[in-house]
Amino acid sequence: MILHIDFKSGTPVYLQLVEQIRHAAASGGLRPGESLPGIRPLAEELRVNRNTVAKAYAELESQGVIETIPGKGCFLREVSSPLTKTARNDLLIQEIDRAIVAAHHLQIGDADLLALVKKRLDAFERKNKAAND
Amino acid sequence: MNRMNTDSPIIEIQNLSRRYGKLDAVNGLSLTVRAGKCYGFFGRNGAGKTTTIKCLLNLLRPDFGGVRVFGLDPRKNEVAVKERLAYVPDQVAFYPWMTVRGTLEYLASFRKNWNGDIEADLLKRFQLDPNQKSSHLSKGQRTQLALIGAICPEPELLVLDEPTSGLDPIVRREFIETVIGAYQSGDPGRRTVFVSTHLISEFEGLIDEFTIIESGQNLLTMEADAARDRFKKINVRFPQELRLNLSGALNVKRNGRELEILANGNSEALLVELKSHQPEELRTESLSLEEIFVASDILKKAKA
Repeated sequence: MILHIDFKSGTPVYLQLVEQIRHAAASGGLRPGESLPGIRPLAEELRVNRNTVAKAYAELESQGVIETIPGKGCFLREVSSPLTKTARNDLLIQEIDRAIVAAHHLQIGDADLLALVKKRLDAFERKNKAAND
Repeated sequence: MNRMNTDSPIIEIQNLSRRYGKLDAVNGLSLTVRAGKCYGFFGRNGAGKTTTIKCLLNLLRPDFGGVRVFGLDPRKNEVAVKERLAYVPDQVAFYPWMTVRGTLEYLASFRKNWNGDIEADLLKRFQLDPNQKSSHLSKGQRTQLALIGAICPEPELLVLDEPTSGLDPIVRREFIETVIGAYQSGDPGRRTVFVSTHLISEFEGLIDEFTIIESGQNLLTMEADAARDRFKKINVRFPQELRLNLSGALNVKRNGRELEILANGNSEALLVELKSHQPEELRTESLSLEEIFVASDILKKAKA
C-alpha cells in the first residue's frame, strides 16, 4: 500500500489518508490482519504532521476498519460492520445518489452509468484477485 | 511541574508593535498558537517575522501591546519561558573552538532535561562527527547541530525562524522529517511548533494553522485545511468568448475563451455561473498554502 497526499485536491489531508486506506482494504492492497505503517514513520515519509496521521487512524478505528493493539500497532480488521444491513444500505445509497447526480450533469445515460459500475466492480475484483494470488 | 491545560494558548500575541526609528516593523499584530499545533508564520522579507519572534524571546522589547508565552510575560519571566522552549534561528553560530560534542555538552549544561538517546540517534542520522570542530562544519551541518541542540531538551515549544533557507534540498527534507519524527512524536499534545518561513511548500504537510504577516500586520489567519477549501483555482474554456458575471471572483485572468479564476470561498456560486454557459472544459483545484501566500497580495488589494 503506497499512500500519497495531494494538497490541491481540496480534501483535508487526514481524509485523503482515510480514503486511500479504505480503498487499499477494498482492493486487496491491505489484507485483514496486516499491519498499517506506524504513525511516526508514515508521518515522516509523507512529511505531514504526526497529528494528521493520528487523526486518520482514529477515524478509521471509529469506522471499524482498523483496530489498535497497544504496543503492537494498527491492523486491518476483518470486514464486519457493527451497523444493521438497512443502515449500511442507507449509507451506500447516499454515495450512489451522488454518482447519479454527477452522471446527470456529465450527460451520461443510465445504461452507460450501469456499465461503468460493472466495469469498476470488475476492476476491484481483478485487483483483489491479483493481490491474493 | 505545572502541566498546561491543553486549551490555554502557548503563544498569545496581542496588538504587538515594534518600531525601528520611524519604521513600523510590527504594527498591531495579534495571533494565538494553541498547544500541540504546528503554526506557520508566513511573510515576505521585511514583513516583521523575525522582529515578532525576537519579542517572544525577549531579545527585543515591544513598544506597544504584548506577548505571552506559556501564559507568562517573557520580559518578567525570561528564564521560566526560555527553559520550556528552544529556538533555531536562520543564522546559527557556535563557539568556533568547540567540537560538536563540546557544543552539545555546553548547550545541555543550560537545560534541566537532555535526552541522550535522541542526541545519539540524530548524530548518527546526520552523520555528524562528535570530534569535528564547529568552525569546520558546513552551513547545513551547523543547522543540523542547532536542531539537535533544540530537540534534545524536549521543549514544549520549538521556535523556528527561516530554519531551512540556504540549505540543500536533502538537508531541508531531513530537517522537516526530524521535526515531525524526533520532536513531534515525543509527547504529541505538548509539542508545539512555531515556524516562520517563506519556503512554504516544504512545510505544507506540517502546518495546522498559519498567519500571513504583511507590513507588520496580520493579513490572514486560517487553519490550513480550511484555507485550501476556501481558496480555489478554476480553469475554464468555452467554445467562444462570452460575457460573464464573475464579480465575486478574487481575480480573473482571461485569454480569449479561456479563463483562470481565483475564488475566495465562493467557488460554488462561480461554478454555477460558469456551468450555465456550457464550458468545453472545467477544472477546479485548491490553492496550496504557497499559492495562497502569493495570492495574498491580491487579497490585500481586495480588502483595501
